[in-house]
Amino acid sequence: MDRLTTKFLRERKIPSTACSGCGLGQSHKAAVKALDELGYGVDDVVWGTSIGCAGRQTFATWKGDNFAGTHGRVYAIARGLRIALPPEKKLVLTVGDGDAFGIGLNHLMHAARSNCDMTVVVCDNLGYQSTGGQFGWTTPDGVKTDSSPYGMWEPNWISKEMDVMKVLEAAGATFLARHLSMDGRILVDSIKKAINNNGFSLVHTVFPCTTNFAKNALGSRNAVNIFNWIKAHAAPLGEEKEDTIWRTGIYHDASNSRPEFATSLREKTAQIQRRNE
Amino acid sequence: MKRYLETGNFAITQGAIMAGCRLFAGYPITPATEIAEAMSINLPLVDGYYVQTEDECAAMHLAIGGAVGGLKTMTATSGPGFILYADPYGWAIGCEIPIVVLNSQRVGPVSGITGAPGQGEFYNARYPTQGGNYETIVLAPNSAQEAMALTVEAFYLSERFRTPVTVLADQLITDGLEDISVPETDEEKAAMGFRFMERKVNMGPDFYPPTDEIDIPPVVLGRGANALCSDWTPTEEGYDIETVEAHHKHSYRMIYKIRNHKDVIERHEELYVDDDPDVIVVAYGSTSRTAKTAVKKARANGLKVGMIRPISLWPFPDELFHRKTTYLSVEFNYDGQMVREIQRAVPAGSKVHFFGQCGELPSVADLDDVFGKLLNNEPLKREGWEREVW
Repeated sequence: MDRLTTKFLRERKIPSTACSGCGLGQSHKAAVKALDELGYGVDDVVWGTSIGCAGRQTFATWKGDNFAGTHGRVYAIARGLRIALPPEKKLVLTVGDGDAFGIGLNHLMHAARSNCDMTVVVCDNLGYQSTGGQFGWTTPDGVKTDSSPYGMWEPNWISKEMDVMKVLEAAGATFLARHLSMDGRILVDSIKKAINNNGFSLVHTVFPCTTNFAKNALGSRNAVNIFNWIKAHAAPLGEEKEDTIWRTGIYHDASNSRPEFATSLREKTAQIQRRNE
Repeated sequence: MKRYLETGNFAITQGAIMAGCRLFAGYPITPATEIAEAMSINLPLVDGYYVQTEDECAAMHLAIGGAVGGLKTMTATSGPGFILYADPYGWAIGCEIPIVVLNSQRVGPVSGITGAPGQGEFYNARYPTQGGNYETIVLAPNSAQEAMALTVEAFYLSERFRTPVTVLADQLITDGLEDISVPETDEEKAAMGFRFMERKVNMGPDFYPPTDEIDIPPVVLGRGANALCSDWTPTEEGYDIETVEAHHKHSYRMIYKIRNHKDVIERHEELYVDDDPDVIVVAYGSTSRTAKTAVKKARANGLKVGMIRPISLWPFPDELFHRKTTYLSVEFNYDGQMVREIQRAVPAGSKVHFFGQCGELPSVADLDDVFGKLLNNEPLKREGWEREVW
């Protein structure tokens, strides 16, 4: 076990029960590393998760407080929790792509609209992998999955023209970034910026699923293949090539530019009381 | 004591704030909207928060989020919103989070008649989420005054049992203007039977002990307890686990913490039941008001008619139905819901009949007519509804 694990994670849950070669741990570790580098301790953070691979594998890993919400609703739970929690507590959510961009998108957008202070790390394995490997809202065009056996033909949320990042920016998010789980230092730095934003931040991290996605899309569960395939189809923003699927980098940084939800609620309450004195 | 001529919605708000509610999350829906409105006015005055959400599913999740952060919280809705609570109800039941839910029943299914009373969620309130393996606590007021009292009681029970408690009202209760007395001093509150319980914090390490005990503090996040709560079957510490043994332990707790402490929850009203009545009328909520008038009138006319009004609807008070006689369930629906529970609870050889309608109360004359038919062993046919015989 490394220093980060010993300091922040529960022994009982590490190593996780993720499949051999799964890239989720990279996204997870980047979030823990970001908190460590910012100087936060176990008690400074409440860790939330959702369902699916991302939720199940990261729930109860943090040594402090953990919760796992119902499918897609964790953003609404987090908004209520944000009101009740002391403002200095950090709220970090590790969720899946189906949760954030499918079933929970409406709640996610309202968390963005209200600029509720939370850092959402979307751990994207490119579809519904814990249910066996069905397509999702970030599954690349043409890819075969168990529910797109002739190739993914439905428009997804990651094309340049219809990017979920644009949706979230329009909805009011104040920090948005997209990375690969293997982006290392760049990813950690983005998550640090996200945490430092007193408002709604989302970092979208694409990670390789060696089991269901790789088997269906590439015909092989060889981890090296899927890692290389994802890397080959990613490029930093502005350096896109014709076959780029994932444009990585910071999409939108309006950190600390807009009132935060729970802070505003407390301020309004104080104003109303003064008016009634 | 302050007296008001006000709606049930107002009374519920007063009860909630008195009980310590400091976060209300809601979504506008007739006929519960005025609770949200009154909360938006009154909560900020007591350092509380009102949040209007994108839908009812988010409303209850947000309220639970506040509750798991240590606040006493509430949400209120009507049928079409109540069904969207199915998701968060499961979370609150499984994670054992105290929260109060008010449902002002209207005429359904779906949007139905929006501004008229119904009693269509008798079973939905018992089974508000999927999966089974739990008991629920449901309280049913029949006046604005009692709606306030039961809202206070719902907060109390939700803390003791660490579970959502549902106040099952209807449009007449929440919209109706009535004379309401709001107690102000502790003595006045005690004299009205109000019970209160502060939020406590479970410091672990066993957040989900497999016991039927009540008064175990709930999980509260952000207090240094290193707490765990999730939508999955928990180990005693709260880790997610997929074994039948662990689920059996968790289910035992969710079921028997309520079943084995029914005496803490149970409340009812009985009228003229001790002289072997020929007919016992059973009604809850608004319909019990008309039923009570009709029963009193029948007694004045020498008919041996009695009445039972369950106030705690769930767990269903089976023990009240020990007399072998003829029962008549009067309900705000056409399909007959509570009547099925009465059929199950009564001794063999009893007869159980149903008289129901929704949208408007039956009249005392309607019930008079039904009593007459029952006492003369005639079928309960109604003009225009001859094919519906109960």
